[in-house]
Amino acid sequence: MDAIEVNIKIKKTLRIRAFQIFFIVVGIQTGVGILGAPRYIFKEAQQDAWLSVLLAFLYMLLVTWVMFVILTQYQNTDIFGIQVDIFGKWLGKFLGTIYILFFFSELASLYFSYIEIVQIFLYPTMPSFVMGLLLLIITVYAVLGGIRVIVGVTFLFTLLSPWIFGLLYDPITRMEAAHFLPLFDASFIELVKGAKTTALSFSGLEILFIIYPFIDNKEKAKLPAYLGVSVSSMFVFLTTIISIGYYSPSDFDLMDWPVLSLFKSVSFSFIERIDYLVVAEGMMYITSSMVLFAWMITYGMKRLYKVPQKTTLYALSIALLALTIFVRSNFQIQKIGDVVAEFGFWLVFVYPFALLPLVLMKKKGQKRKEVKND
Amino acid sequence: MKTTSIFPLKLNELEFLIKSNFEKNADEDLLFSFYEHQGKKVVVFGILYLLDIQKLESALLAPLLNASEPWTVKRLKNELPVGNSSLASSVDIILTQLFLGKIFIYIEGEDEAISYVLSKKMQRSIEKSETESVVIGPQPAFIESLETNLNLLQNLLPTPDLVLEKIMVGTAPTREVRIAYMKSIANTTDVNTMRQRIQDLKIDELEDSTVLTQYISDSSISLFPQFYLTELPNRVAYTLQEGKIGVLVENSPLCIIAPSTFFSFFETMEDKYMRWPVGSALRMIRMIAAVLALLLTPLYVAIVTYQYELIPTELLISLGQSRAGVPFPPIIEALIIELFIELLREAGARLPTKVGQTMGIVGGIVIGQAAVDAGLTSNILIIVVAASALASYTSPSYSMGTTIRIIRFPIIFLASLYGILGIMFGICLVLIHLLKMTSLGRPYIAPLYPLKVEDFSSVFFRLPPADTAKRATMYQPKDPFRYSARNAKRKRDIDE
Repeated sequence: MDAIEVNIKIKKTLRIRAFQIFFIVVGIQTGVGILGAPRYIFKEAQQDAWLSVLLAFLYMLLVTWVMFVILTQYQNTDIFGIQVDIFGKWLGKFLGTIYILFFFSELASLYFSYIEIVQIFLYPTMPSFVMGLLLLIITVYAVLGGIRVIVGVTFLFTLLSPWIFGLLYDPITRMEAAHFLPLFDASFIELVKGAKTTALSFSGLEILFIIYPFIDNKEKAKLPAYLGVSVSSMFVFLTTIISIGYYSPSDFDLMDWPVLSLFKSVSFSFIERIDYLVVAEGMMYITSSMVLFAWMITYGMKRLYKVPQKTTLYALSIALLALTIFVRSNFQIQKIGDVVAEFGFWLVFVYPFALLPLVLMKKKGQKRKEVKND
Repeated sequence: MKTTSIFPLKLNELEFLIKSNFEKNADEDLLFSFYEHQGKKVVVFGILYLLDIQKLESALLAPLLNASEPWTVKRLKNELPVGNSSLASSVDIILTQLFLGKIFIYIEGEDEAISYVLSKKMQRSIEKSETESVVIGPQPAFIESLETNLNLLQNLLPTPDLVLEKIMVGTAPTREVRIAYMKSIANTTDVNTMRQRIQDLKIDELEDSTVLTQYISDSSISLFPQFYLTELPNRVAYTLQEGKIGVLVENSPLCIIAPSTFFSFFETMEDKYMRWPVGSALRMIRMIAAVLALLLTPLYVAIVTYQYELIPTELLISLGQSRAGVPFPPIIEALIIELFIELLREAGARLPTKVGQTMGIVGGIVIGQAAVDAGLTSNILIIVVAASALASYTSPSYSMGTTIRIIRFPIIFLASLYGILGIMFGICLVLIHLLKMTSLGRPYIAPLYPLKVEDFSSVFFRLPPADTAKRATMYQPKDPFRYSARNAKRKRDIDE
């Protein structure tokens, strides 16, 4: 097995500017997760679900900070290099592989959820295979363009999507204040449980661990990352608040995608059924997440096993297409989502805290050695 | 190759040698005049139809024959009042220069023949621009003569800062290509890239600048034009001042502008000539029109085929009524009308102007009224198709307008297959494609990506002249300032 270099050099032409981190974080975090999030949070924390989102937001800021502390200990590296440095070649590679598997499950979760949404809201009879093929054509075409095109796609598509949140003005006017009462009813444990369910919609934050070496002006990368986390939290916060106010508690049990159903009440004199447009627009915000996940998988495989990125990309598309034939029921898709949420919670939001002391200890040891050698 | 000297020769030997190189009776076009002057035998020869006979008589023959001393080649070179003399001694050189319209003089016994440029070139005069018509502002357009075009350009930018680099391209025939740029502004890397790309061409003939753009473009499979082609000298002068590069080709009335961004295809010079809010509004209308041209017909097909819930009930009723008699599915209906419009456009472009106008009226009536009466289409589709056809021609660049018309067809098919989802798929693919493209190595959809907000003022809209001291930075000009911003003083308070 070949050794992995901890610190890597990235060509000037492949580097991205720090402010793009904002769009990358928002783009990857606002996938399909947000469309179903209020339902899960509500299940745990009832009418105080919005507090859970705030809690999750604060916690996420902390995680982001920890990630940056870990990353800045090194010159220019990603999580694959760090794990090899801390745990050695074998265990490091193993953990890296787990990350890649996690990315794949996230990608699959997004992919199947969107296919399901399209089948529920637009075309009940459309074969999953065809819809999957459309999504994969876009993803492969974008990823083939390399990191700059991928970041461009994320940037452009993220910029073109948020107008749909403006449409929520209509459900806002129909909100019922009584739905929020009694305030602060949920216990802290319930709030934490609610916050934990946001792991699916907020997963994707781990991209900081991968894309960090590609940032050109690293000293400016922190603020965009925090802002990105804030904006995607704000989206979830807004949709949760509106959902609580708009739906009665029993409504939440009846629907899978409460946020999409919110758009059903919006209509204009020249356009009815806005939810159709939102589902179609979904192709953009799904793609912006999918290309990033697909790129992370191909890049990780190249970094760990020196597999050409094109090979991984084609293999993973074929794998997803093949899976489309087997995954059919709503239940299976839900299952994938649950696994990703559970797994993601530990890997994205807990693991960095375990990694931090190890990295700091190792670095301190190295410094001591250097001092001794001097 | 017979590059060795053939001189000295007897005059009739020379005549025989030159004429033997012409096929069949083409040598009848050769002018061979023998004179005796001060005891020396002199021959003057050239190709008749390439020569300016009047000039030849007055400027060359008269002084030649009226001189009182005997001529030698040296004296001819120094004393004959005609410019551009050159000496030649081999058959090959003499032959190639004959075809460029040169006239040769050979004095018997000398070692070299001397030649002068006395050719006449046939060219049209400078006219108004046809393909990029301008309503207000300077009208002249480039013509097929490189000399005239260089003259027009240099007159607009009479400064030593304007560089007109000469590169010869092709083997048979060799054509002159000029790279024009401002020494103090243009990005050196861009100039080097352009020079390299043109010098690397190994081709026999360069037909036109439109062909050159295809040889030197970044992506040869993309539908989108990567270089703006303009026939307006004013536009070239303005873009050179922005730090871009112009390329002029001999015998071509179009100047290549590089690097070009996607959005520069929607800029006209008139945006600049109008007052800035009006100019900005017109430019934005043009960009919105491009989106409409791309999406109107696909949306009709998608809505009528699948998502009829999208439009309000009243509109749906009238749409249903007008479509009630149409026996085809929406995609066939749309394709029939689109095909009509494309035929009309193509016929209008190929026919002589007078017949073309008639065709326009006839075609318009046929499509507008008869097609609806015959139950081929609904009249709402007529409006949709006509509007999108109009919208696609608002781009000042004909090639961009045509590209937009062509990429509509796959999107119409996608719309008929998957409704608005298919349209979205098409939009995503086009956007990713635009993101991937470059022009002369510079990103095609700058300043959107990579994001340069400060350049928005020169791309998406315009600002008052006093606020445009800075050039667009996306082309990375050497000198980012057009003029000192401090000198462009503006009133800061009410009474000042």
